Amino acid sequence: MTAFIIRRLLWTIPVLLLVIFLTFVLMRQIEGNPFRRTDRAVPAAVQRNLERKFNLDEPWYVQYALYVKGVFTFDLGPSLVLRDRTVNEIIKEHFPKSLELGVLAFVWAILIGIPMGVIAALRQNSAYDYGLMFITNVGYAIPNFLVATLLIYYVSLKLGLLPTNGWQTWEHKILPSFALALAPMAYFARLVRGSMLETLQQDYIRTAKAKGLRWRRVVTVHALRNSLIPAVTAMAPLLGFIITGTFVIEVIFSIPGIGRYFITAVTSRDYSVVMGITVLTSVVIVLANMVVDILYGILDPRTRDART
Amino acid sequence: MLSRKPRLSAVLLALVMGLLVVGCGGGDEGGDTGGGAAAADQTLKWGLGSEFVLDPGLATDTTSAKLVLNIFDPLVKLGDNLEAVPSMAESWDVNGPNVVYHLRSGATWSNGDPVTAEDYEYAWKRALDPELASDYSYQLYGIKGAVEYNECESNCNALRDKVAVNATDDQTLEVTLTSAQPWFIQQSAHSVFLPVHKATVEQFGERWTRPENIVTNGPFNVEAAQPSASITLVKNPDWRDAANVKLERVEGRIIVDGTTAVQSFEAGEVDVLDEQLPPAETPRLKETPEYELYPGLGTSYYGFNVKDNIKDINQRRAMSLAIDRQSIIDNITQANEKPANAFTPEGMPGREDIVAGEGSPWTPASGDLEQAKELMAQAKNPKTKITIYSNESSPNKEVAEALQSMWKQIGIDSTIKILEWQQFLEFLGPPPPKAVDIFRLGWVGDFVDDINFLELWTCDSGNNNTGYCDKEYDSLVAKAKQTADNTERYAIYKQLEEKLTGQDGFLPFIPLWYITYPNLERETVKETFEINLLDQVDLTKVEIKEA
Repeated sequence: MTAFIIRRLLWTIPVLLLVIFLTFVLMRQIEGNPFRRTDRAVPAAVQRNLERKFNLDEPWYVQYALYVKGVFTFDLGPSLVLRDRTVNEIIKEHFPKSLELGVLAFVWAILIGIPMGVIAALRQNSAYDYGLMFITNVGYAIPNFLVATLLIYYVSLKLGLLPTNGWQTWEHKILPSFALALAPMAYFARLVRGSMLETLQQDYIRTAKAKGLRWRRVVTVHALRNSLIPAVTAMAPLLGFIITGTFVIEVIFSIPGIGRYFITAVTSRDYSVVMGITVLTSVVIVLANMVVDILYGILDPRTRDART
Repeated sequence: MLSRKPRLSAVLLALVMGLLVVGCGGGDEGGDTGGGAAAADQTLKWGLGSEFVLDPGLATDTTSAKLVLNIFDPLVKLGDNLEAVPSMAESWDVNGPNVVYHLRSGATWSNGDPVTAEDYEYAWKRALDPELASDYSYQLYGIKGAVEYNECESNCNALRDKVAVNATDDQTLEVTLTSAQPWFIQQSAHSVFLPVHKATVEQFGERWTRPENIVTNGPFNVEAAQPSASITLVKNPDWRDAANVKLERVEGRIIVDGTTAVQSFEAGEVDVLDEQLPPAETPRLKETPEYELYPGLGTSYYGFNVKDNIKDINQRRAMSLAIDRQSIIDNITQANEKPANAFTPEGMPGREDIVAGEGSPWTPASGDLEQAKELMAQAKNPKTKITIYSNESSPNKEVAEALQSMWKQIGIDSTIKILEWQQFLEFLGPPPPKAVDIFRLGWVGDFVDDINFLELWTCDSGNNNTGYCDKEYDSLVAKAKQTADNTERYAIYKQLEEKLTGQDGFLPFIPLWYITYPNLERETVKETFEINLLDQVDLTKVEIKEA
């Protein structure tokens, strides 16, 4: 297991280099000037000073080398737009909020989605099943900006129960995390239902039942454990994505998270911030995938044996 | 941990202040405005439109400008008619290119140090430092030696000393300009002219604006700040005119999305917004008592590519006449903008002398389709298939579509191309690319003199994307810059405006409307919260009334 983790960690280095390279190339392909944000042109001398300050007057390979050096020394440089701040500070300030939002949404999704899937599978073709699957279909189909808007309209404005936006207290966190959780919740429910139905047909379940095990134990220990594998597979990239910021929810609920600022940075061509957040996202996704691989091993020892 | 102590003392201070306000209220407060008594809690909850930067040398957006102008003390402020009003400078002398500011004595920084003329000298030279690379350094280019220092490649320290701004003593700031610039005093109300505390900047470097480090000298101190989430300002009890500042506390929250901001306002979470109303909501919001509309010093226009494509003056006139500006304003932009009848916007000092009578004959508010058709018929080789370029944000696309249908009526088929903002700016030039026939842009004033607008259309202006180039126009601009006398200068501006939009004007662009800033303001602050033509807010004037 240790060897596996070390190997995976080493692999992140070439992955990161590639990500930095691609982001670098893509950002330079789109036109734009990070120092011009309004209709007003920047005088040539000012533009020159700015380019010099941020090393944009260097040849591209020097700039690329500087970025790579920055990433591996954990110094992502200054922001080109929020002029009195560094990318490190921006990430330090924004990322924990996105992380919190993502984790809360993830917890909602698991706590509600998985039981929904299990119940639907156990009562296949019953009213429960149809009802739950209807809800998950709707939950999956409705885009989260609509859910968010409806929640704000009814819960905050009409009923006045919760604040409309912000990220100060626990009350502020309920609506955005729920709105963000809805789609993954539905997704998990459907995945678990499908694999649970399949597992329940397996010989070993029949054996367990025939041996006289209590049904509750058959479901929780034998069936559920194996039914979770597809859900766990899906969790990794999902977790990676939702904790690295969700633009729509962060904008609608005015959450100062990394997703909102990432889009701001792309539209204003804040190269260093875009680079920093992309690198962070890739690291998180690589790590999330690794955690899933470890979880696989715990859920299904066969995959562990094949790997080591 | 560190912030605990100052915070506690600030709370105590606020309490004491609150008691004082309550104690001495009643008697004189109620009578003077007639708008109800002052509320006991003088806390303004302000929804801010974007992330902010608290370094006056680096602030570029309007949210940052609104904040820094209230935490630092400018030499002059702008009055109701954009005239210069004494602030930290109690008076000034202007003698041709020589300007002397006389500063008040006894003012202090928030750490207790005295505020001196040297603080301003340091801040201005810092803004010009090529190492700082300040976006707004060019605002200081009117000062002798400023351009040379800002452009320096080597020998920068010597050039720095040659910048003609000198604190001759603690209260005197002497400035020598490159020529007489009658607008310079008003221009120095811009945020880049604010002072900074040298020792703090030098000690903390880029981190000097963090709330735990920042030293300010304005009516409000920074208590807490998270640049992408919130800022808390508290009244500075030691400010020179603190007795006349009513607000005790400002709680600013960043709400980037317009719809969210409106919801937050309607839920009572903020008292005032920072002009970011979504156009779709405007018709509904307009009907509420909280809706407020301010004129801005800015002109929205459509520019022609006169170099390659729309060469015929009659076609340009016809296209301008075909536009029903009023209808676009009423049905699309909906912010009660004023239809433009010249490039010089309303509110500009001297405008009545610069724009004669009804203004341009080519810009009737509701258009003149008959004349447009006639002129189109007279055009030699008109271009009847054109491409309109605009950027994506609302309502630009809808405006482009309206223009498309209006121009259709005079026989012009147009295709609309929408680009993302940054690509759009990069694409437009100057010089204009051949593919562009006509494009949308606007101009918002940096300072209150028409030169700031008219200078746009010189041959080598970086903002002239039309390809219009008239040497005579350029020499008139140069002449205006040398003309200190307002009446004489306005006469030159009138000639310039005539050359652009007058009867025989070249019409390199079509002026559409003068911009406005719509806002939502709780009725308890509506009377005293004001946004001026340059989109600035003076929080020292704000007072919260009882509901």
